[in-house]
Amino acid sequence: MIGPKLVGQNGVSLVPLTLENFKLHGRWMLQPEVGRFWGPRFGDFTDESTEKRYTEFSESNTSINWTIAYLDEPVGFTGIFDIDWVRRDGESGIFIGRHDLFGRGIASEAIRLRTDFAWRELRMHRVHNWVAHANRGSRRANEKVGYKQMGLFVRSFFRSGEWYDEWLGEAYPHTFPDQH
Amino acid sequence: MALGGTIRGKSTTLRLPVEADLETYNRWMADMRVRRAHSVWHEPAMPATWKERFKEIAKEKQTVLWSIDAAEKLIGFAVGHVWPMGGGFDVNQFVVDPDEWRKGHGSDVALALHRYLFDYLDLRLVTTELRADNTAALKIATKLGYTEFAHGHEVHYREGAYVDEVKLRMDKETWQERWSNEREYSPLAAEATR
Repeated sequence: MIGPKLVGQNGVSLVPLTLENFKLHGRWMLQPEVGRFWGPRFGDFTDESTEKRYTEFSESNTSINWTIAYLDEPVGFTGIFDIDWVRRDGESGIFIGRHDLFGRGIASEAIRLRTDFAWRELRMHRVHNWVAHANRGSRRANEKVGYKQMGLFVRSFFRSGEWYDEWLGEAYPHTFPDQH
Repeated sequence: MALGGTIRGKSTTLRLPVEADLETYNRWMADMRVRRAHSVWHEPAMPATWKERFKEIAKEKQTVLWSIDAAEKLIGFAVGHVWPMGGGFDVNQFVVDPDEWRKGHGSDVALALHRYLFDYLDLRLVTTELRADNTAALKIATKLGYTEFAHGHEVHYREGAYVDEVKLRMDKETWQERWSNEREYSPLAAEATR
């Protein structure tokens, strides 16, 4: 499903995923400047496949997806995936596609909005994720809203001559910081 | 889904799954003993739905399904996912018929499967996830050489309460240390490549 518009602080908001923005997501993932901790930088990014994936995302009952907007411009994406509605657990993820905007707190605010929505609107019990251990910015952004380390997956992937570990985190409504 | 070929253990065999197995899969998914031990692969459904699932999952290229036999009788199935990069494999399902528990089938088939993964596919590591109170499965995994790398709290829900989950991994180095004598094929003869 597609998430509703959530307006946050400092010009950051989560906006419903559109096909136009979804096509942007694919383009961002292919750029080396933002791919250090990301995937293989190849895939089927034809318009036809992108439209099919967009339809699947939109119709999915087990994921919720947003584009991250900064000053009303799309700059990344986030969501909760593989939601199990019996366990009320899901895996979260985030990607900032504009490296020129790194360090402005956009991810922190996007994660706060997403996590708040998970507790207050989706009535989830738990969210969890995997983050490259060396991606301190992302790890810190998750920790700020209550994610705590549950494990470390060493030598997860090899890139530019060295092994990268992955940090595994989990969060619950009671670990979310008091907003009042 | 890719359908797995034959892997022989001492008392068990992983083999190509066929449509005739689906009715038994369905029965296991409806068995509360199985559901207590681990997550279901699919919820119970009518035969036509299982056939549709079988057809659909055949399209997934990175996932492998095996049926497991012992004494020429279907006693379980296994499902795993080959990583698209990085030489890894996730064991997602490892189901043994509850009526066949405590006969050593789980240990035997697990060893055979891991021999295939490390000795034949030459993979770097294998991971799995278990409910923290599934002591039988944990015992098999520990004996094989798995170690815990993460512990999730209150992950699975059943019988009115949450239960934790442990994430485990086994690396090729561990396989070689513990099971280097387990080989599918004997070493090549010295003159074989002359």
